[in-house]
This record gives sequence, C-alpha cells and structure tokens, in this order.
Amino acid sequence: MADDASSSSGCAGNIIDNSINQDELIMKQQREIEKEISETIPLVGELEELSSLEKEYNEDPVYLLKVKDLSSKYKYIRRTRPDGNCFFRAFSYAYLEHLLTDKSEYNKFYEIAKNSKEILVALGFSQFTVEDFYETFMEVVQRVGEQAGGTPESLESVRTELHDKFNKQGYSDYIVVYLRLVTSGQLQTENDFYQNFIEGPRTVTEFCRQEVEPMYKESDHIHIIALSNALNVGVRVKYMDRGEGSQVSEVIAHDFPEGSKPLVHLLYRPGHYDILYA
Amino acid sequence: MAEISEKYNTKCPGVKRLMREAMELAEATEEYCARPLEDNLFEWHFTVQGPKGTDFEGGIYHGRILLPKEYPMHPPHIILLTPNGRFEVNKKICLSISGHHPETWQPSWSIRTALLALIAFMPTPAEGTIGSLDYSPAERKILAKKSVTWACSQCGEIAALLSSTTAAKPITEEEKTVLNQIAFKAEDEQTAKPPEEPAHTQEPEPQVLESSEPTNSFLDQLTEILVALLVGAVGIFIYRRWNAHYPTSETEL
Repeated sequence: MADDASSSSGCAGNIIDNSINQDELIMKQQREIEKEISETIPLVGELEELSSLEKEYNEDPVYLLKVKDLSSKYKYIRRTRPDGNCFFRAFSYAYLEHLLTDKSEYNKFYEIAKNSKEILVALGFSQFTVEDFYETFMEVVQRVGEQAGGTPESLESVRTELHDKFNKQGYSDYIVVYLRLVTSGQLQTENDFYQNFIEGPRTVTEFCRQEVEPMYKESDHIHIIALSNALNVGVRVKYMDRGEGSQVSEVIAHDFPEGSKPLVHLLYRPGHYDILYA
Repeated sequence: MAEISEKYNTKCPGVKRLMREAMELAEATEEYCARPLEDNLFEWHFTVQGPKGTDFEGGIYHGRILLPKEYPMHPPHIILLTPNGRFEVNKKICLSISGHHPETWQPSWSIRTALLALIAFMPTPAEGTIGSLDYSPAERKILAKKSVTWACSQCGEIAALLSSTTAAKPITEEEKTVLNQIAFKAEDEQTAKPPEEPAHTQEPEPQVLESSEPTNSFLDQLTEILVALLVGAVGIFIYRRWNAHYPTSETEL
C-alpha cells in the first residue's frame, strides 16, 4: 500500500504537490511518534508502585514534592498508552475493575448502560453501527457482572481477562468508541448547558463531531463532565501540573460530577491520564 | 457469507462489523450498491448513480473500497474506476470532515455514509484538491453518458448492478448534517498508522492494487513511448520510400 501511495503522489508531481503544507509533514512525524508509542507502551499497563513516578522527576524538585503529596493518598499507579484515548480507556478500566467488588453499583450501572443505546439511536446515530459498539461494550460489562462479588480466585481470573481484553486493540478501541458516543450523546442531549463550555463559534454538535467522536482526540474537562454525568459515576482527577498557587507541592483534585463520591481515581499530567489506586 | 465466516476470525470486531455492513448493503438500491469481493472482505466494489440535477445526472460510476485492517477505527479508501471528470480514476481518495485531517473519520460512520457522502460531494468544486479534476460541465456530461456502458473486469456491466426499483433507505437528519461536512481528498502520504493486531487469519491486503492498476504517470509514459515508436516507424517508412525512389549505392550493396 505504501508503494502505491508513493507512486501516485509521484504522478501528481505538480504545483499542488510543492505546496503540500507543513500540516502534512507534521502529521507524518506525528504518525511516526504514534507508531513508536504503540510499539513500546501497552494500552493499559500493569500495576506499579507510585514511587515509580519519582524516577521520572529525578531532576525536578517541584514535581518530586508533588509525587510525595500524591503518595500520601495513593499507593499504586497503572499507566495507559498516551494515544489520545487515555481518558476513556483509563476511566472504563478503573470503573469496571471497581464494579468487580461492588455488586450494587454494578446493578445501577447496568441499567444505565443498557438504556444508553436507545438514547444514541434517538439522537440519530446510525442504529447498526451504534449496536456494533454497544454489543462489544456490553459483552465486557456482562463478564464483569457475572463475576462481581465472587470469590477472590474468580475475581483474580476475571481481572486477568479484563486486562487482556483492554490490551486487545479490537475490544479496547470498541469500548473507547462506545464511551465517546455516550459522551457525545450527553453533550447533545444537554446542549444548552454544555454550549457554555465550548470556546469559539462552534455548536455542541460540531464540537462532538470534531473533538469527541473521532478516535485519538484528547479529552478535556468537558468530556469528563459529560461522561461522568451520563453514567452517573464519580471521578476524581488529581492534577499534577505546574499550576500556580501558593501550595506548590499540593496536587489539586477535582471531582466530577461535583460533590459526587469518587469511585475512579485518575492522575492527570499535561495531555495524559493514568489510573491511581489507594 | 458462509465462506467468509470460515476464513476470517469473526470474533474480531472489524470482521464482524464488515459482515454486518455486507448484510445491511446486500440489496442494491437505485442510488448505490456495494459488496465485498468474494475472496476478500476488506475490498469492496461499489456503484453509485450520478446525483440528479448535476452534470453527473444519468451517469453510473463504479469503484473500489479498500478497508484498512483497523477499520472502523480508520477510514476506508475509495478508488473510482469509471472516468467521471470529478475525481481522478485509480487514485485513492479519503473522506474526512471538510478542512480537517483524515483523523476526523468517525468509527460510527459506515460504508453507506462514505457512498452517500461521495454522491453528495461529486458536484462540489474541485478547487485544486489533490485527486480532484475540474472538467467542464460539457465534458462531465459526455463522460456521464459514456459511463452507462462501462464494465468492470470483475463485476461486469455496471449499469446492471444498481436496482431499478428499490430506493435507498432515506437519509436521516443526522446523516444529512454529516454528509454536508464530509470532504474527499487524495492522501499524499500514506505512512501507516500504528500497526495493530491482525484482524483476520488471512492477509487480504497483498492483493490490493500494487500491481494491477496503471497509475496516471504510467499511462503518460506509455503514451510517450507509443508516440516515439510511431514517429520512428513513420521515419523508417519515409526513409524506405525515399530509398525506393532514389536508390543509392548503399542499398545496392
């Protein structure tokens, strides 16, 4: 395929070709970086001691203080691949993992998940493509439900299974796509409210089409607010960045939706989300 | 279909999805039809009707759809085979949201979305986009007329492929807003996205397009060679006639 592409670009060798904008070059470089990332970092990694973060910031006293603050509340971290889908992947992994030990939360979630498809179809999303993602998503959710609250041995085996599925591109991406659709559905359903969060002249629908539904588009506050509201799941995000403020060493937390009890804990570093464990 | 399910890993979401789409599109409509090749679920052939009220009215256009192994995470490529005056033939074009990168393809779009968008996009101005042609209305109308008798080496007469009675499923409001936003353009670089797990037991990719289709530049070269040969032949002919009339000592040798 690559051969074919290069031969066809060769034949278009005219003015248009010369004006290939910087964009194309940047995109090419970006793809190379993505390729390298996908070869070296798993979609969802193994549990690691939080202290593994210290190694990343050996030379950075400000961040080392922040890691220290973080380690007073969390013991472990699970890294995800930085491919723009990390929020959705980290969120769903951490939440499904939590549901394994919380049957009543599972029952609540199952009802919400089951009804989510109808909401999307009513909004005009193509029934059969939505169904395609929904079925894979529910297949994984139901596997969790079958084992939720089971014996430690059965939990361990289903954890392994979950981990495998999240590292299989097919399953993992299908879950991400479905959550992106749910997020988009929530934004569009409550578009009067969410319009206030969108900068510039874009409508909520345009924003969804450009920033929510396509894969590899990074998540912002608005994505997290919408998804946590749509699924009624509390998410705490610890923001580890160079934010201003007097208490530099403190890692600030945000709960979504506000005032909820967080069941999923994520670590945010600029452009990326990982999972935190107490 | 039975054969396909034996050949591919149906547990793999991409394969399941494509089989679903094949079923969804199994019945030809007046506006479009598409189906996978018998031996390759990742390559389809399609036929669309030229949009009414445009230079393409009455035209029937045939082409190939190449599905990447990451489909539906990555967009399909479309290759038009019937000369149409709007898109170069034998060139991969790709859909994305107008003014955005191909990354704006959405997994919830489908082959139907791509075909409807292609039909809707045909009458838009070419504006020098890579892979676009800016033929005059008259030329496009002539091509539209000619297209009716065009035949595909694999599918036969394309006019027979579309239904004459079945209308396509009506376009929904959501689809309408999507279609207005989609643009087609040839991709200039084709650096592969991160490699992902093989979607199926057999690799359908290799059969795809490398060898069979002459690109435009190849055609141009061929024409040049032919012209050169012709000029040479005419030269020799004149030379021999010249000799016949004015024999020189050399020819007598």
